[in-house]
Amino acid sequence: MLSRGSLSRLWLFVHATFVVVSCFTDMEPGSGVGVSSQPNGDRFKIEGRAIVPGVKTHDWVSSARVLVEGEEHVGFLRTDGSFAVNDVPSGSYVVEVVTPTYRFEPVRVDITSKGKMRARLVNYIKTSEVIRQPYPLQIRSVGPHSYFMKRETWGWTDFLMNPMVMMMVLPLLIIVLLPKVVNTNDPEMRKEMEQSMNMLNSNPELPDVSELMTKLFSGSKGSSKAGSSSKSSRTVTKRR
Amino acid sequence: MAKLILLLLNWIFLCCNVAAVFEDQVGKFDWRQQYVGKVRFSHFDSHMQSSKKVLLASESNVFAALNTRTGELFWRHVDKTGPEGNIDALLQHGQDAVLVIGNGHLLRSWDIGVGGMNWEMVLDPGSFRSACLVGHQGAVKHLAVLKKTVISLHYLSNGHQKWVENLPESETVDFQAVYSGGNGEVYALGVVPNSHLAIVVYSLEDGEITKQVSVEAPWLSSIPASCSVISRGLLTCVDSTTMSLYTLDLHLQLEMTQIPLQTLGLDVDPGFRPSLVSHQPNPAHPPLSEFLLQLGPEHHLLLQHNDGQIVTLRDYKPALLASFATAGEKTVVAVMAPKNKTACSINLFSAETGRRLLETTLIFTVDPNGGKPEKLHVQAFLKKDDSVGYRVMVQTEDHTLTFIQQPGRVMWTREEALSDVVTMEMVDLPLTGAQAELEGEFGKKADGLMSMVMKRLSSQLIMLQAWIAHLWKLFYDARKPRSQVKNDVSIENLSRDEFNLQKMMVLVTASGKLFGIDSKTGDILWKHYLENIPLNAAFKLMVQRTTAHFPHPPQCTLLIKDKDTGLATLHVFNPIFGRRSQVTPPALPQPILQSLLLPLMDQDYAKVLLLVDDQYKVSAFPSTKNVLQQLQETASSIFFYLADSGQGRLSGYRLRTDLSTEQVWEVVIPTETQKIVSIKGKRSNEHVHSQGRVMGDRSVLYKYLNPNLLAVVTESTDLHQERSFIGILLIDGVTGRIIHEAVQRKARGPVHVVHSENWVVYEYWSTKSRRNEFSVIELYEGMDLYNSTVFSSLDRPHAPQVLQQSYIFPSSISTMEATLTEKGITSRHLLVGLPSGGILSLPKMFLDPRRPEVISEQSREENLIPYAPELIIRTEWFINYNQTVSRVRGIYTAPSGLESTCLVVAYGLDIYHTRVYPSKQFDVLKDDYDYMLISSVLFALFFATMISKRLAEVKLLNRAWR
Repeated sequence: MLSRGSLSRLWLFVHATFVVVSCFTDMEPGSGVGVSSQPNGDRFKIEGRAIVPGVKTHDWVSSARVLVEGEEHVGFLRTDGSFAVNDVPSGSYVVEVVTPTYRFEPVRVDITSKGKMRARLVNYIKTSEVIRQPYPLQIRSVGPHSYFMKRETWGWTDFLMNPMVMMMVLPLLIIVLLPKVVNTNDPEMRKEMEQSMNMLNSNPELPDVSELMTKLFSGSKGSSKAGSSSKSSRTVTKRR
Repeated sequence: MAKLILLLLNWIFLCCNVAAVFEDQVGKFDWRQQYVGKVRFSHFDSHMQSSKKVLLASESNVFAALNTRTGELFWRHVDKTGPEGNIDALLQHGQDAVLVIGNGHLLRSWDIGVGGMNWEMVLDPGSFRSACLVGHQGAVKHLAVLKKTVISLHYLSNGHQKWVENLPESETVDFQAVYSGGNGEVYALGVVPNSHLAIVVYSLEDGEITKQVSVEAPWLSSIPASCSVISRGLLTCVDSTTMSLYTLDLHLQLEMTQIPLQTLGLDVDPGFRPSLVSHQPNPAHPPLSEFLLQLGPEHHLLLQHNDGQIVTLRDYKPALLASFATAGEKTVVAVMAPKNKTACSINLFSAETGRRLLETTLIFTVDPNGGKPEKLHVQAFLKKDDSVGYRVMVQTEDHTLTFIQQPGRVMWTREEALSDVVTMEMVDLPLTGAQAELEGEFGKKADGLMSMVMKRLSSQLIMLQAWIAHLWKLFYDARKPRSQVKNDVSIENLSRDEFNLQKMMVLVTASGKLFGIDSKTGDILWKHYLENIPLNAAFKLMVQRTTAHFPHPPQCTLLIKDKDTGLATLHVFNPIFGRRSQVTPPALPQPILQSLLLPLMDQDYAKVLLLVDDQYKVSAFPSTKNVLQQLQETASSIFFYLADSGQGRLSGYRLRTDLSTEQVWEVVIPTETQKIVSIKGKRSNEHVHSQGRVMGDRSVLYKYLNPNLLAVVTESTDLHQERSFIGILLIDGVTGRIIHEAVQRKARGPVHVVHSENWVVYEYWSTKSRRNEFSVIELYEGMDLYNSTVFSSLDRPHAPQVLQQSYIFPSSISTMEATLTEKGITSRHLLVGLPSGGILSLPKMFLDPRRPEVISEQSREENLIPYAPELIIRTEWFINYNQTVSRVRGIYTAPSGLESTCLVVAYGLDIYHTRVYPSKQFDVLKDDYDYMLISSVLFALFFATMISKRLAEVKLLNRAWR
């Protein structure tokens, strides 16, 4: 259980960050207007580095690109994995490194009209939430993209873990093991069990389907393994 | 806790709802072709003898390296479209290639081996004029960039500026060229048109002006077009008005020497602007003293400057193209001369002497359906015996690159026109001869029992023959190793497969070249280059007759419209063979406003195309008597609409029996506040299987399926982020009734719309939250249907119920389309092209305005996913896995013969084709169907019964004995 004190402190902290953010964002619309009205305003540079742990940069930089807000601004990676996107007016942008093989998390970069930079996690739902990221950007690959679904391969474990099989096997185990665990010699217990058996077979006149089937097929055909196992289970129940 | 459950539920849904690619399906039914666009600069990498790279910089702002052996890409870098990413110059030295980009705004150096960037440098503003590599004392370490007002020198190793100088008198003098001969000086050459030539010499070391001269040249207007530096700093120009060559020694002279062409015994073709080409194999050394002079469209000359004299080394006439190439120390000239109508021959000549090199002839076959050769890129190399060998890359008008080896073997061809596909259609392949024979039997009238039997027998016999041939081929191929088995697809043996999965893709490109591509393999089966296509043409491709009407050939019509004048032409062709059709299309003297393909057919089963001209007169194609009669009969039910985005006017018209028109309705959208961006109707070949949706309480919610519904998207003219908005109007195209209007405030385009069945999905940019959002509108009639048999726009008194919901999408998108299947039973997916190159298959289920915020028993019954504001992009949903499609511009979907399968083509810079199964493959066995397991289980059971039977017998016998 989380103590109430720490919770409220956390809430305060969140609140504080929120206030800071709103200050920050308040500045942006002004700069945004400036950009839309004068396209030749100040242009800035977004810098950073992309890292794929354990892979040489030469192997992947040729297929990588840096996309700023879709394809609004495009940058390329240097042979050492660093990048710089030039000519970005002030505003807030989502910076993404895209390669067909490796996955990188996008980062939101805010640029004030004075050219102050800040990087934070992308959160599309709470757009003003700030979780700071280092700037110049350090974007580390999360691993290779997983494009493919795994084929269902057939194995014994899959077969055994199949719900149908489980349903068949578990009652069997119970039937075999229960009599050993429960003391059947106890008269009270026996009474109880008989009662419950009567509850189950409420209509003793109704012919059992499996019995009918076995009658039909017995003699002419042998039975498969599954059939035999069910038969044995039935015999167990009868014995009881 | 409730949220957690919600999330969990969501996850469960996500997991059971995957329509992803399996790893073993890679390349089974999908293919991708990558292009670079029309080549502007090309450079063979020659710094290593064994190098197989050719660098290409294209007009689509793409820089790529190709493998010269196969024509495949080593790597490719796709920059922004538009002038900001425009490649102005390509310079290569050793392992580095330097690009000047965006009118001299950026310098970018690439490592051509790795394909990564070395450095990028932002230059001072100013419009770009010229750039060159600067060498000194045998080493090339710098590069000079000339702009309108400044000249700057940069280090090749890191891009840093060594010096930058303002050009003197740059207000009057137009500096156009920069030259360096490897002697420590950089020359900037400028011209005051029709007055004089200005030469400014800078010192390489510190950028100091060492010399500044101006030379009289009243005839000169442009330096790059008519001048070139040859030999040791000898500026040579050619002028057509004075019919002379002019030379000027940049070091010594102050006046130009005029050499009339007559004295050399030469003559310029009338009306031709002559040009000069020099060659500087190494920037650290001065250019060669030989140069090429073109005097006419088919006239080239190799000239040499020798001790102040110009000597003709060789006269090439006729010669289409000529180009220099260097291998080691030797420089050669490759000249392409027309041989006959279908072939050109290319020969090598020594540049020093002009003598023809033996055994260097190469034949280039000109495609009769292609364009003329335009550029010659020569790769020369030294053979083992020190003689010069070469390969050429010929670029033709239709943007094709052909790489040829001696003696004329085409190593590869690249159809770069395919990088700019404008529109496409998929056409069913025809039946095979045997199938057609069988079909034909039913078409003809019965003529006696005997002959019918005979015909049937003969057709059966033909089928048997075909089957045996097929078996024989299978048997024959099975003995050969797999690599040798060639599935040579040609037009002749193309035929429809069982499930109609293989189709003919007809692609129209912006250059005016049409392609027919086999959808199974991606092979180009036919191509046809249409000449005289206006630059800003709009294309509309229509299938007038499919392959279903056997004796009649299929027919496609391409409407080509000049956007400025509105004048249009029709190109009618056979989509299977690409040949122009026998039918002569009507001449269209009036600008065309609208075209519509009617479901009416003429007696030859060709659908009728109606064209509306600017006088609101309608003409039909084909316009036979039969067609006109049908039109008169049905005229009262033919409605069409016109949209004028300039005036914000949408108007509906109706056809009269005399083929004139009558305006029925008009909607005016005030242009001061908003403009019409796009209008989307429904696809005519779309089928909707279910009329309604079954609700949780077993009642039915009927869909509002109006085939005449138009979705009109408007954007506000005010782009301020607080005031901008987008609007969606749903208008009935027949009556003009506005069914629904939605406005999204604080939003701006680009808006992508998909309109299908009873829903409209659109995507826009929310300026308030700085994110992309999807919105879906669904229309329902309600719990009971007004008229369940026929839909008529004129008789629908009740307005439909409108449901809408919006979602956040975590990426911007490039294009969007919905899957399409034969009968519309399969659930729909949206195919979303992303800027990263992925094509996301997003189930429509996620874009359902009935997704509840609070789950109830009923919604669970209906399988509705609880509402979550954010749509998730999962890479498993990318139908093209790592085969990214750059700059995807359009996605085309077509139904196949299988209900579960939809054929998809995504086009942009690349072309990608695949099949998607929105509801998985429910009508065929899965690829991974385990035949082995099923048969082994069967056999095992069989043997088990045998054995147990035997055992039972033995047991019975034993019991009997007891």
